[in-house]
Amino acid sequence: MRVEEFRTGLRAWLDEHDLSPVHDKSLDGDMAQLSRVRRALFDAGWMRWGWPEHAGGLGGPTILRAVLGEEVATRGLAEPGIYSLIEVLAPTLIRYGSPELLAFVPLLLSGEETWCQGFSEPGAGSDLASLTTRAVRDGAEWVIDGQKVWTSLAQYAQRCLLLARTSGPGHRGISAFLVDMDSPGVLVRPIETMHGVDEFAEVFFDGVRVPADRMIGAVGQGWEIAMSILPDERSSCFWHRVAHLYTRLDRLLAAAPAGSERALGEAFLDLHAIRSTSLRTQHRRARGEPLGAETSIDKILIASAEQRLFDTARDLLPGVVEYEESPWREEYLYSRAATIYGGTAEIQRNIVAKRLLSLGDE
Amino acid sequence: MIDAADLTLLSTGFRAAMEEPGDADRLDAALVELGWRELLADSPDEAVALVFPLLGATGAHAPLLNDVLLHALGRPPGGVVALAENGLAFGRPCVPAGGLDPALGLCRVEWRPLGEEAVAAGRRALGFQLVGAGRAMLELAREHALTRTQFGRRLASFQAVRHRLAETLVTLEAAEAALAHATDPTTSTLGKALAGRAGLAAARNCQQVLAGIGFTAEHRFQSFARRVLVLDDLLGSAKALAEDVGGSLLATRRAPRLIEL
Ligand SMILES: Cc1cc2nc3c(=O)[nH]c(=O)nc-3n(C[C@H](O)[C@H](O)[C@H](O)COP(=O)(O)OP(=O)(O)OC[C@H]3O[C@@H](n4cnc5c(N)ncnc54)[C@H](O)[C@@H]3O)c2cc1C
Repeated sequence: MRVEEFRTGLRAWLDEHDLSPVHDKSLDGDMAQLSRVRRALFDAGWMRWGWPEHAGGLGGPTILRAVLGEEVATRGLAEPGIYSLIEVLAPTLIRYGSPELLAFVPLLLSGEETWCQGFSEPGAGSDLASLTTRAVRDGAEWVIDGQKVWTSLAQYAQRCLLLARTSGPGHRGISAFLVDMDSPGVLVRPIETMHGVDEFAEVFFDGVRVPADRMIGAVGQGWEIAMSILPDERSSCFWHRVAHLYTRLDRLLAAAPAGSERALGEAFLDLHAIRSTSLRTQHRRARGEPLGAETSIDKILIASAEQRLFDTARDLLPGVVEYEESPWREEYLYSRAATIYGGTAEIQRNIVAKRLLSLGDE
Repeated sequence: MIDAADLTLLSTGFRAAMEEPGDADRLDAALVELGWRELLADSPDEAVALVFPLLGATGAHAPLLNDVLLHALGRPPGGVVALAENGLAFGRPCVPAGGLDPALGLCRVEWRPLGEEAVAAGRRALGFQLVGAGRAMLELAREHALTRTQFGRRLASFQAVRHRLAETLVTLEAAEAALAHATDPTTSTLGKALAGRAGLAAARNCQQVLAGIGFTAEHRFQSFARRVLVLDDLLGSAKALAEDVGGSLLATRRAPRLIEL
């Protein structure tokens, strides 16, 4: 399947099959809509292209996933953040998981299940390698104790891609698991967020027993697995999000007053910048080149583009964030997280300085 | 179309010519000898993407922008073309004049409207030159940060310094990626605007990292800093172009998705 062919076919199909949101604008509504969209796209095959056949996909270049995500975002069919979460979870499992674990992937792609990413902890944010949630071997099982935090969609998730410490300190002591969220001893407590969409939660693990075959990869391979997420997160996911941001610029253009040319132009330039570097990243990935620290450039650009866009909306539509009941408020507030999640803006600059500019250690 | 091996060979030759001491006229002639005009005629996009980053990076000057505009206008190379209604042009021969960057030999000639395609070609070329100059400044600041010590540590170990340099690289990469996809008037305008931003950001950040030594006439930094100010202004500064682009957005009330997967 080629990109052009895929896009044309997909557009024609979406024109015929109306998947516009039917649920209310709550997180429950968004989640229900997401499942509905996934189910329909999976059954029609669109959701399966770009995923390997041994994981329930139809094969073809991974770039097709970005094309699909762009179309979904541009048409406003699903909230892009939650839609993209599969890009953060499924590729990792496919790369490192056993055949038994791969069998779970179609459940995610088809919208039957939701998964979450259990990495961050109260004591381990930017310094993820200092995480302390423990997994101790007991016969054919691992027993997990500890706490995760800021775990997006944990309250909806059937499974969690969890990082836990299986031996001594540092990167090498970390392993990855696919944990069932209905296991005895898992407690999820949603956290109220500042933008009013309570998308993340605290997750407590109290003597949770996980079968040994739920380990992803080998003992001690967790860090490598966690890092392998970045290229997926920062190619397809970013393309989806950028497509979403263009729709928000369109919305701003519909309402922007005369005299706002310069501000709109600057916001558009930011979007064009990340779209250009992201395209380059997708092409690199399509050529099979390993993606590494350069993706921190895309991350810095997308976060600043998002914040500039919503800052511009607030400037050009005075009061819309403060006094009016419109999506601008929630989205403005959410844009503040863009420099925090997925590795903070400072951490990205640290990576650029060390890896791309070879400035040595701090 | 030219292949990659030939481009590498040409690149080495062009760079060597630009690094040789001498004035703009000598370089202008040397590049003709090395095949600049043939390259421009055969593969204009590759020619611009090859030569202008080198001009930027070496800090050399030859009035090649004229040739790029002439090519886009369907006229033979070797002449002089006004860049704006005020007649501003790169003189040929290049007579060092006044202004912020005398080496550019800017002069005034009769203005004739350029047309969209020629402006786009010029913006792309200037964009590439800005990125080259930005990269040169970044390299000067990077070397300085790695060699100078204060408080018993290398400057490069201070996070404030590291983040300024990282930020510079990010803006340069964005501009370069946009220029690589600049194929028509709109994308060329965006490429030039991002390159102007990047050149100015590089000047600001690198000046700060170089501090006192960068403020001297003797240090190479200042020649790049002067140059990017002029290059940013020619055929539309980052700010002016942002305003133009915003104007067309407001007119259509829709943001075009200009490059596709
Ligand atoms: C909306 C949202 C959703 C999220 N979803 C998930 C999820 O699903 N799963 C998950 O595991 N995590 C998730 N996170 C967590 C996210 O990954 C962390 O918030 C992030 O890694 C930062 O960690 P922290 O909040 O502990 O901040 P800290 O690491 O405590 O950082 C605080 C500040 O110090 C700065 N800082 C820290 N170290 C350095 C350094 N070395 N140099 C310079 N500055 C530094 C940071 O940049 C930041 O500004 C989510 C976060 C948000 C906001």
